[in-house]
Amino acid sequence: MSRAAVGLALLFASPAAPAQRVTAIVGPQFALASYREVASGLRYQGSGFGGALSARYRRLSAEASIVRLTLDPANGSAATSGFTATDVNAWVAYDVATYASVEAGFIRRTADPEFDAQSVGAVRIGARSFYELGPGATVLFRANYLAAPKFSGGGHAGFSIDLGLGLDVRLAGRLHGTAGYTFQRINRKTNPGGTGEIDAPMQATVARVGLAVGF
Amino acid sequence: MTRQLHVLALLAGLAAPAAGGAQTVQNATLRRAQQAYDNLEYRQVVSLAQAALRERLTGPERARAYELLGFTYGAMDSILKAVDAFKQVVLIDPERQLDPNRVSPKAYSAFDVALRQVLLVRQLRVDSTSFVGGRGAVPIRFTVTQPARVVTRAIGGGGGGGGGGGGSYLIDSGAWNGQVNLSWPARLANGDPVPAGNYTVVVEARLGQNTASASQPVRVSHGSVDTLQSLTSLPGYQYLPETEVPPQSWRPLGLAFLYTGGALVGTLGLESSSLGSSSKRELAVVGGAALVTGFVMTLRKPAPRPAAANILYNRLLRDQIARRNQDIAKENVARRQQVQLTLVPLPKASGAGPR
Repeated sequence: MSRAAVGLALLFASPAAPAQRVTAIVGPQFALASYREVASGLRYQGSGFGGALSARYRRLSAEASIVRLTLDPANGSAATSGFTATDVNAWVAYDVATYASVEAGFIRRTADPEFDAQSVGAVRIGARSFYELGPGATVLFRANYLAAPKFSGGGHAGFSIDLGLGLDVRLAGRLHGTAGYTFQRINRKTNPGGTGEIDAPMQATVARVGLAVGF
Repeated sequence: MTRQLHVLALLAGLAAPAAGGAQTVQNATLRRAQQAYDNLEYRQVVSLAQAALRERLTGPERARAYELLGFTYGAMDSILKAVDAFKQVVLIDPERQLDPNRVSPKAYSAFDVALRQVLLVRQLRVDSTSFVGGRGAVPIRFTVTQPARVVTRAIGGGGGGGGGGGGSYLIDSGAWNGQVNLSWPARLANGDPVPAGNYTVVVEARLGQNTASASQPVRVSHGSVDTLQSLTSLPGYQYLPETEVPPQSWRPLGLAFLYTGGALVGTLGLESSSLGSSSKRELAVVGGAALVTGFVMTLRKPAPRPAAANILYNRLLRDQIARRNQDIAKENVARRQQVQLTLVPLPKASGAGPR
């Protein structure tokens, strides 16, 4: 028996690829968020609702989430009014090892009113590691580079990264509990009026907790 | 000295004639000859036995009379006459055998010389046997007392009971002397087994004008060959459980710490200095949930997980059994087309002798 054959057998026997059919979970989520932009004085906090969907077929998996956040100026913030943000994320991943995948996707966050905060869109490229803590409980950690970001107020970002922590626990039968944490750092730079580049970084953290039904 | 040896030889020679006398002897003269022999009255034995031979005797009685003469001449040192008498014995009863432990050496050597001077086929034996047609043979043994051309045949329809197809099948033809061992595959020229039925194995020996033969009836029956059972397991090999329960450990909690810690370290490390420290509320919620889940999973009995090595082993075992069963199926197809030949010797209807 070759090492390759044993490796393949282990891979297919692993929790990462137990099923030959498509499995999916979908459900609503409650979200908490904080957002900072440009300077430490411009910070927001809020919450919102959304939903998440994830699916797996053999070594391929996909995730998508949408959450609508109402962000208000935090205590001591220089901001005078809040805004509503709609955060859409999507990933497609391929398992390259028993506990690791490479993934790609996109992020799009829009602000309403449009000029109260930056809207951003970017391509995600990264990897994630996942592990089954126990029967029906999986934890994951992801790191994505946000490539080619676009901002509603213009500018560019040479360094943008997104970290994530996820949890999926089968509570009973088809009912799952889901949780996700996202930390986002975007080193945006702008050149307003051609007077020279200035830093206008953005930083956001989002926690999503919800229930989901498995199919 | 010569006299003493003579007496010893006589005493030793008594046993065989006495044993032979156990057979029913109807002829009165022959009975008197036997009594005279028992009383060591050899001259009277000779005259009485010769007188009996001039009377009407059955075959066994005639053989008995010559045998008495043979032993008596042997005891009287008339070896040539003893040999002649024993020649008559074996011509009448070719299967006659003397026990060297019970007869005198003189009588035995005279009998042995007599055997060598007469062409006989003796001690024809066909053993009971059973074999798959084409994969065995019937052992046939006999003794030829002189170098001769010997032809052995199986003749169908002999011995009553019919069958055998009435054919004659040559088993062997060759020059033989002494003990002969032959094997008869009981097959036709085209490879098929000989038809079921009764046969007579006939051995004919020819030396110049002299011929001798012996025969043995046998019954050949056909049966179906036993087929093999399919295997459900291999002896000494058992299926192994394809899942195993890992030992309980702190690994789930440790991993939850690791993943949560990774997120925390990443968050702290990547925070922008110009934006200040971000809120940790979100990480606390999700990280706390992960840690609680890890702790609960640590306390729970671990779920059975696939045992890769056992799965591979079982797969190999199943493949091996499937291959064996395929071979068995092929073998059974062949066996269903085969014939189990059973050959049993039958009692002889009548003795055969030299012609």
